[in-house]
Amino acid sequence: MDFDFIPEEEAFQKEIHEFLAREMNEGIIAETESLKGLGPHGKELLRKMGQQRLLAPSWPEKYGGRGLSAVTQGIVYMEMGYFQAPWPIDGLVIGPTLLRFGTEAQKEKYLPGIAGGEIEFALGYTEPEAGSDLASVQLRAVETDDGFILNGQKTFNTETHYSDYHWLLVRTDTDVPKHKGISMFIVDLKTPGITIRPLYTSAGLRTNEVFYEDVRVPKESLVGEKNRGWEYAGSALGTERILWSGDMKLRFEQFIKYLAEDTRYPDIEVESPCTLEELAELKTKLHISALLSYRAAAMHDKGLPITYESSLSKLYGSETRQQLFRTAVRALGHYGELTGGSKWAPLRGMMEQEYIDSCRWTIIAGASEIQRIIIARSIGLPRK
Amino acid sequence: MDLSLSEEQEMLKNAARDFLTDKCPKKLVRDMEEDEKGYPPELWRGMAGLGWMGLIFPENYNGSDMSFLDLTVLLEEMGRACLPGPFFSTVILGGLPILDAGSEGNKEKYLPGIASGESIFTLALTEPSARYDAGAIEVEATSDNNEYVINGTKLFVPDANVADYMLCVARTGSGARDEDGITIFIVDARNPGISCSLLKTTASNKSCEVIFDRVRVPGENILGKLDKGWSVVQRIMERAAVAKCCEMVGGMQAVLEMTVEYAKQRVQFGAPIGSFQAVQHHCANMLADLDSSRIITYEAAWRLSNGLPGAEEAAMAKAWTSAAYQRVVSLATQIHGGAGIMVDHDLPLYFRRAKAAELAFGDSRFHYRTVAQGLGLGAK
Repeated sequence: MDFDFIPEEEAFQKEIHEFLAREMNEGIIAETESLKGLGPHGKELLRKMGQQRLLAPSWPEKYGGRGLSAVTQGIVYMEMGYFQAPWPIDGLVIGPTLLRFGTEAQKEKYLPGIAGGEIEFALGYTEPEAGSDLASVQLRAVETDDGFILNGQKTFNTETHYSDYHWLLVRTDTDVPKHKGISMFIVDLKTPGITIRPLYTSAGLRTNEVFYEDVRVPKESLVGEKNRGWEYAGSALGTERILWSGDMKLRFEQFIKYLAEDTRYPDIEVESPCTLEELAELKTKLHISALLSYRAAAMHDKGLPITYESSLSKLYGSETRQQLFRTAVRALGHYGELTGGSKWAPLRGMMEQEYIDSCRWTIIAGASEIQRIIIARSIGLPRK
Repeated sequence: MDLSLSEEQEMLKNAARDFLTDKCPKKLVRDMEEDEKGYPPELWRGMAGLGWMGLIFPENYNGSDMSFLDLTVLLEEMGRACLPGPFFSTVILGGLPILDAGSEGNKEKYLPGIASGESIFTLALTEPSARYDAGAIEVEATSDNNEYVINGTKLFVPDANVADYMLCVARTGSGARDEDGITIFIVDARNPGISCSLLKTTASNKSCEVIFDRVRVPGENILGKLDKGWSVVQRIMERAAVAKCCEMVGGMQAVLEMTVEYAKQRVQFGAPIGSFQAVQHHCANMLADLDSSRIITYEAAWRLSNGLPGAEEAAMAKAWTSAAYQRVVSLATQIHGGAGIMVDHDLPLYFRRAKAAELAFGDSRFHYRTVAQGLGLGAK
């Protein structure tokens, strides 16, 4: 048993931490906090990181990585979250799935660009009728002589408006049980027939409806084998679900610092906007959340099969996130209601924004209810 | 990073599980709840024969020289089995402190007996105030030539009714802080001034009132240094808290397995209740509590075992696990329905032990205050 990083991991953490401390700037942070997606400052940062092979250290060197451990990849996410760097999470999540299931041509075409911070991918799973019941996807891919024609609609596709490629879950067969007729495609978002319409959450996050009208894509767009998309989605989701809490660590530190300087309550032991126990419990849960995430990565490194561990990391981390921002906003009292841009708003109104935004975290990447079902089934509880 | 047990630890765990499944069935657990001593001598001898008492002591004291982390593997199995008896008291509250703070003379005199299972030890720390801070220590030890005379009452002392020796935490002086002037004495339990009576507790663990009436102790029986005992007490508390977490994790594992088994078998509305979403969600929550407790407990144990600073992790582990075990037994009770609250069902054994474990060596509030200290908030 060893809870420490191995020397390569420690060295990498030091390297990326120092890099981000140097390269992060207000322009990037403003883009991240705007919730409007990747902007020019963020893109510039990702390119620089890509050049230094800091984005995908766990990938093979020939694809732009360093051949390091999955734990190292987790360190990337933790540090980028902590510094509020934009997360190219999609490409990074899609990468491992491509590594496992993609053709060699696909790996060579896309992986170096993702690892280099040059190209962005958007997830294309959710539809109006396919949320938790993702296997009910209806966006149809009909095979032709030289490729496929795509028709249908996606929704809540959050990265599409700034991405180069769509990682698209489509229906290729309607005559089989629904999860057996699904395929995964990589679609160039410049292809004619694709319309992107913005949607906004109540926190101000930009997401999108994406319409496919007779979109013609070449045969090479198909990832791996036809009708095996459900398996590929499962693999991608398994990686995506490991929740990395670097940004929560930053916000907790900002919250504590705020409390330490809060002149409304000179002595937290005598009277305080929240109890020391609440704060200690939050600190403990953030610590445990990080351990659960690294555990999933460490299991991957040891070749151990992950059954529920990434689901648990997502469940635990997302609920802790909500507890964190619920507590912070409450502790700020009336100041907690003030939104960014308001006079008197503490911390640029970020606690309020995070609080409203925190709602989606127990819904995206598999709602908490779905995660609990996955966990329950993994310990042997039967289906209905 | 590797969060798994070593091969040797897996073997130790499996051997312990086999032994306890065979020699510590639930019938024995229940019988010992009614028994005056609280443990059967044959089981104690069996454990000693396997080298369990001596596991972490150096070989020259009859021990196996294994690590604290190795011991946690045993403790988890003991929690799973609801093992009755003074193992925890003897090894964690007696032997470890002597190993940690004792003179060569103390170690030579007491450790071999602990390792071989001949001697039973405990720690007399808490008093009627039932608090774990230094200010709560009021039992006095006054010096008289080369001896000390101890007077006062200790309460909630585990296994004092069967102990051969007690480590008694007493006040020998005063200073600027409550922590100054505290001394630990190794006291022979057969001393005529000691009277011990068994309290009745929810977990039927042998918790005692121990009255010290002019109990004379030789000067060389001081463990560590005069007036400087509190830092030793803190280290004992740290290890005891983590060791208790290991027992709790083992108990949670048993409760979850029992509950999943039940949910698969119990049929209502034409289907096993384990297929219902509410039940599945409860079980998932139980696993979340079990895994999160195990991971923070292992981290704390690993740090302490490797001589790394671990006070904060130990506090996190005890605070979190204490609350987690409560939730686990509550959800398990819900899922078991009427069956699970009956006196002859195994689940209440765990339910009651979860409460006792929560309270031992500081509950969530106590340990979260330690964690909060690290946040740097305080009077401005």
